[in-house]
Amino acid sequence: MTARTERAGRGALARRRLAGFVVATLAVGLAGGGPARAEPSAPAARFVDGLGQTVLAVLRDGRLDRAARLERLSQLLEEASDLTLVARLVLGRYWREASEAQRRDFVALFRALILKTIAERLDQYGGETYEIVGVQPVDERDTIVSTRIARPGGTPIAVDWRVRAEGGRLLLIDIVAEGVSMVVTQRSEVAEIAGRSGIDGLLREMRRRLDGTA
Amino acid sequence: MRARRRIFGVTPVRLASSLVAATVFAAPAARAVEVSDPLEPVNRVIYGLNELVDVMLLGPVAEAYGELPSPVRTGVRNVLDNLRAPVTFVNDLLQGETDRAGTTFARFFINSTLGLFGLFDLASELGHPQHHEDFGQTLAVWGVAEGPFLMLPLLGPSTLRDTAGLAVDMLAFDPLAHASSIEPSIARGVGEAVDTRHRLDPVIRDVRRNSLDPYATVRSAYVQRRAGEIRNSRPGTADPRYESIFREEEE
Repeated sequence: MTARTERAGRGALARRRLAGFVVATLAVGLAGGGPARAEPSAPAARFVDGLGQTVLAVLRDGRLDRAARLERLSQLLEEASDLTLVARLVLGRYWREASEAQRRDFVALFRALILKTIAERLDQYGGETYEIVGVQPVDERDTIVSTRIARPGGTPIAVDWRVRAEGGRLLLIDIVAEGVSMVVTQRSEVAEIAGRSGIDGLLREMRRRLDGTA
Repeated sequence: MRARRRIFGVTPVRLASSLVAATVFAAPAARAVEVSDPLEPVNRVIYGLNELVDVMLLGPVAEAYGELPSPVRTGVRNVLDNLRAPVTFVNDLLQGETDRAGTTFARFFINSTLGLFGLFDLASELGHPQHHEDFGQTLAVWGVAEGPFLMLPLLGPSTLRDTAGLAVDMLAFDPLAHASSIEPSIARGVGEAVDTRHRLDPVIRDVRRNSLDPYATVRSAYVQRRAGEIRNSRPGTADPRYESIFREEEE
C-alpha cells in the first residue's frame, strides 16, 4: 500500500499522461467500431465484435440525434457489461468494509460517472476502426479479446477486452488500453481517496465529480 | 489556490523523513498492480509543480504546435523517432532481441537515407514497424526491481529503475550526448516535450475532467504501461496480481 497524505494535491498533472486512455476507454472503445478483418470464431470474440458493430451502427446512424445516441449507448453498456461487478472490483477491499447503503451509493455513482464520460466523448468519434487480433482464454470464466484500434492519422492503440461468461451470458468486465487496465487504475484512485477520507469521503468526492463542481 | 498552498506546504522535516522511508522501503518485488510510493508527499509536490508548468507553458505551446499542418507534425515525429533508434538498437541487443535489433538497424538505415534524415518513415511501409526500447526496460529484463515510484521535475512519472535507465540512455547510449555541443540535445528535448504533450492532449483532458485523483491515475497507468512495454506485449505473461483482482468476489 502507498503512503497516505492529507496533502494530496488534486488537479495536478504531469507531462506524460497515458492514464486517460483508461478513463476514456469505455468511450473510446465503444466508439472504435469498424469492420473486423479477422473472422472471430470464439464466442467471446463474436461478442466483442457484435458489440463493436452495434456501437458503430449507432454512431453512424444519421437519423439519431445526440440524446438518442447517448440513450442507445447507455442501454448497450447495461446489456453488455456487469457494472455492479465492475464497481465492486474497483472498490476492492473497501467493498468488504462498506455498509449496504454505501455499496448501493457507490455502484450508482460509479455507473453515473461512466455514463458522464461516455457523454463527453460522444462527439469525438473520428472514424476509428478496429480489428480483432487475438483471443486468449484466461480461466474457465474469463477470456481476453485483443483488438487494435486504428485512428486516422494516428498510431493504432492496442485494446484488450476482458469478457466473463456468467449465467449463460457474456459480459464485459475490464478494458485494457496499451497495457493500462480500467479496473486497476480506478481501483488505485478509489483506494487513494478511501484510504485518506474513508468511504463516505469517497462518495462525496464522486458526487462532486458528477455535479461538475470538483 | 488550495493546490498552491500545498505545493509550498511541505516542510523539510517531512521531506527528509520521506527520503529515509524511501531508502528503507525500496521494494524488491516487481509490482504491476501496486507500486511502492514511499516518497508520495514529495512526488505530489513535484506533480503540482509539473502541472503548473504544463498549464502556463507546455500546454499552450503544444496547442500552438497542434495548429501546424499534419504532415509537418508527422515529419517532426519521424525525425524524433529516428533520433531514438540508436538507443533502441543498443537496448534491443542488451536484451538479446537480435531480430528486433535488426529491424531497428534497418529502420535507421532506410529512414536516415531514403527517408531524408528521418523526415519520412519509409521503413514502416517497407515492413519494418517501429518499436522503442530503453535501458529501464533492459534493466527490468535483467531482473532489476523497479524500486519506488518517482515523480521527476518536468519529465513526469518514473521509477528508480527507469530513472537510472534514462540517465544511462541519455549519457552513454545516445549519440547526441557525444556531440561537441549541447544544442542538438536541447532542441531534441524540447521537440520531444512539445510533440508528446500534443499527442497526449486528449488523454490529459480526460484525466483532468474525470479522474478522482489524477496523481493516483498517472502513477497507476505509468506502472501498468511500463510493465506492458517490458513484456513487449507478448501474450501468456499475465500478472498474477492482476488476475487475483478478478477472483476477489469469490472470497
